[in-house]
Amino acid sequence: MLIVIVFIITVGAFYLIHLLPGDPAVVILGTGASPVNRAKLYAQFGLNKPILEQYFVWIRNVVHGNLGTSFITQTSVWSTVRAALPIDVEIIVLSQILAFAVAIPTAMRSARKPDGWLDRILSAGSFTLLSIPSFVIIVLLVLFVAIKLGVPHTGVSSYVSLSSDWITNLESLTLPAFTLAVGSYVVYYRVLRSDLIATLQEEFITMARSKGISQRRIMWRHAFRPSSVALLGTAGVNIGGLLASGFIVQYLLSIPGLGYTLITSIGQSDYLVVQGIVLVVSVGVILINFAFDFIINIVDPRISRE
Amino acid sequence: MSQEQKLLVVKDLATTFHTPSGPLAAVGGVSFDLNQNETLGIVGESGAGKTVLLRTIMGLQPRTNVDVSGSVLLDGFEVVGASEKAKRSIWGLEVAMVFQDPMTSLNPVMRIGKQIDEILRVRLGMDRRAAKARALELLELVGIPSPAVRYNVFPGELSGGMRQRVVIATALAGSPKLLMADEPTTGLDVTIQAQILNLLEELKEQMKMSVVLVTHDLGVVATRTSQIIVMYAGRIVEMGSTREVFAHHRMPYTRALLEGSPKVSNPSHTRLLAIPGRPPNLLNLPKGCSFAPRCSFATDRCRQERPELENANAPGHTFACWNPLPVTQSVSA
Amino acid sequence: MSNSMMYVNEMVEEASAHDRPERKRRLGILFWICVGWLALNVLAAIFANVLPLQDPLFQNYVSINAGPSLHHLFGTDDLGRDIFSRVVFGSRVSIEVSSGAMVIGFGVGAPLGMLAAYRRGKFDAILSSVMYVFLAFPAIIATIAVLSFWTPRSLFKIIVVIGIASIPVVYRVIRSAAMTIATKDYVVAAKVQGATDRRILMKELLPNVAPIGISFLLIGIATVVTLEGALAFLGLSVNPPTPSWGNMINESLAILQTNPWLAIFPSLAMCLFLLCLNFIGDRLRAHYDVSDGKL
Repeated sequence: MLIVIVFIITVGAFYLIHLLPGDPAVVILGTGASPVNRAKLYAQFGLNKPILEQYFVWIRNVVHGNLGTSFITQTSVWSTVRAALPIDVEIIVLSQILAFAVAIPTAMRSARKPDGWLDRILSAGSFTLLSIPSFVIIVLLVLFVAIKLGVPHTGVSSYVSLSSDWITNLESLTLPAFTLAVGSYVVYYRVLRSDLIATLQEEFITMARSKGISQRRIMWRHAFRPSSVALLGTAGVNIGGLLASGFIVQYLLSIPGLGYTLITSIGQSDYLVVQGIVLVVSVGVILINFAFDFIINIVDPRISRE
Repeated sequence: MSQEQKLLVVKDLATTFHTPSGPLAAVGGVSFDLNQNETLGIVGESGAGKTVLLRTIMGLQPRTNVDVSGSVLLDGFEVVGASEKAKRSIWGLEVAMVFQDPMTSLNPVMRIGKQIDEILRVRLGMDRRAAKARALELLELVGIPSPAVRYNVFPGELSGGMRQRVVIATALAGSPKLLMADEPTTGLDVTIQAQILNLLEELKEQMKMSVVLVTHDLGVVATRTSQIIVMYAGRIVEMGSTREVFAHHRMPYTRALLEGSPKVSNPSHTRLLAIPGRPPNLLNLPKGCSFAPRCSFATDRCRQERPELENANAPGHTFACWNPLPVTQSVSA
Repeated sequence: MSNSMMYVNEMVEEASAHDRPERKRRLGILFWICVGWLALNVLAAIFANVLPLQDPLFQNYVSINAGPSLHHLFGTDDLGRDIFSRVVFGSRVSIEVSSGAMVIGFGVGAPLGMLAAYRRGKFDAILSSVMYVFLAFPAIIATIAVLSFWTPRSLFKIIVVIGIASIPVVYRVIRSAAMTIATKDYVVAAKVQGATDRRILMKELLPNVAPIGISFLLIGIATVVTLEGALAFLGLSVNPPTPSWGNMINESLAILQTNPWLAIFPSLAMCLFLLCLNFIGDRLRAHYDVSDGKL
């Protein structure tokens, strides 16, 4: 299955070039392109060959890590992607840690007394947040928090990588990670809450209760794990959406991750970079989804048995 | 008989649920007591409030939208009105429950060893090694072959009968004085049913427990209990020693139940007498005897006035009926 | 909390089954407020041309970046255009794209989902695995990719791309909803009695799947509105100067500190619109007792 999906993704990414109106070489390179560049592009895609062969020429290059060379910046697409990717990974990892760290305890609280005052507040709050797109959240955060408090929030030039100065790096990623965390939190909270409530109705919870163990232990040892399957599934699917929201946030805060690179490349009609990013990100999302499916099988032995 | 020997004394117990459609009297006016090392059977159709009664005695009823009144003294501990925290101290160690359906009462994502261990480690403070050793003993005790292997499996990998044995092992882990068995064989094959019931009986002798055995099948309690309570619509309608109730029952409902249970002595294809009608609506109980609408002996009085429990001839045998069956009548049990 | 509550529920159900009429849960006043707000939005978008609104494209250089006033309810932007009228006209893009995309998504996904649930067998197996492959696709990334290459961009292309991307999601929801109904006794009975496939699909399946479909439709519209906003933000939606909520917010970024109104009003309009959609969808779902898991 994985192979089929990755294969279709490569076909899709390859075919993108042919969506361009007219001769892709002309669109990509412009009318006054140098013969050298034209030759490079033709080599990359085998443009003068039949379409099936074009795909094989291109895929062979891709497998060897050759995503082509940007005709605008004259750098290899792969190195551009490799420089930007860690930033996305970092933002997403940070945001997920934040989202889970808040969603799990609040969902537990809510589920212990569904329709209690705390649950009502949390549920209403999550419902409102659900209706605020991430790009609105980030704009409002910049508007009301970052500018007022002087939280560093912008600048490609001022971006420092994790390895060179981790404090500055984390500071500059606080805002994007927080924004993504808000969106994820809402989804995780709602999914986990409703599953926990269902689980707490189960007979085995009454049985655990009859053993005389604490409420805390019942929640964490007995209720949490069987309630976390949908949570993990949602998290896996959510990653794709997170990347897209991450793109917007990066663009807004000028953080040079994949999203920022993607949008500037779209603006500059740097099609090879766009294609490279789309390919890498799509394959990445698929791999993450499969990883989550795998984790779910471990967490809930019922699923693999079915 | 002095109070000291009584393990369980229930007085005027009533459980009322507050539902969107009004109060629902699931259990009302229940009083009885149970000696140590004795087995009590509670019988009645499904929906008679047996499960709710059992849970209320243990204090395991839901924590919201429910009122419990009366008194339950369990080895000197007053369960009614006790806080969840206080009740935790008796749960597992004084009283434990074998749940109805082994398919749903075990945590599906927890290895069975861990589920048995839990009470040993958390409640009895055993270390990992001692708890595991004891858990293996328990698995052996309830007749699970190769316990060392089974210790590490998930419930889904076991058959229904095996799971119910695990449930029993878990209930026994805290060496409770009172074991509540809530229709422990409902979901199981007939052959397995007998095995499980025999196992419970053996364990009761071995561990010196008292047992409350709930069932809708009178045949099950006939040979395994010393006392019987017959429940209808949340109330006791007849109780007494098993022998007495089987031989000289007075309440028409008891007779109907007895006639409804299959007997080995009957030739095959004997028609089972189903009780006509259906159990009453607990939200809106009839004014008089709850069984009156289904009873062929019912009179106007039955429909107007509720009969209280009154003594029969034998000591301890009581029944609630205005038109009891004649004393001599007997159904071969 | 515990399981005995379930016995009680059973008792209550049984008890209320024979003598009380089933209580219908009310939708509540908030529900109708939300419906009203959405209706107002849609009507304003449809009749924007005939309403006494200022020209959303008219640049009044005399009042630039003005705050809210009687003359300009929401103020003006950096080109002196009236923000109120731009917010109203901007809703057109959101509403057009979302309803257009859902027409495609439901037009293709819903019938296929119902057929697959009804027919089962090979038809279902093949269709479902194809859909599964596309579901695994990161749809947002694919949408961004296609829109950045498929130039020049137009409203029509955006609708087509988002609509196609939504087909597998709609298919899955409708199929699982129809599946639970198609196995019910009355459908099987109708089949045995020789009702035509067409009749069963239209008379038995459709009316029962519809509530789930409608509540999912509303949530789908909310999702597409968000997505269109994000695309506009990335510069992949309609081209300026045509206003849309997304590109208004985008344009506001450069002047966020001088004119926060330009960011606040379209954001507010969008969030309220989404909130109402989500709320109505959620209420309907609860009303028809559809579990969260199906959506």
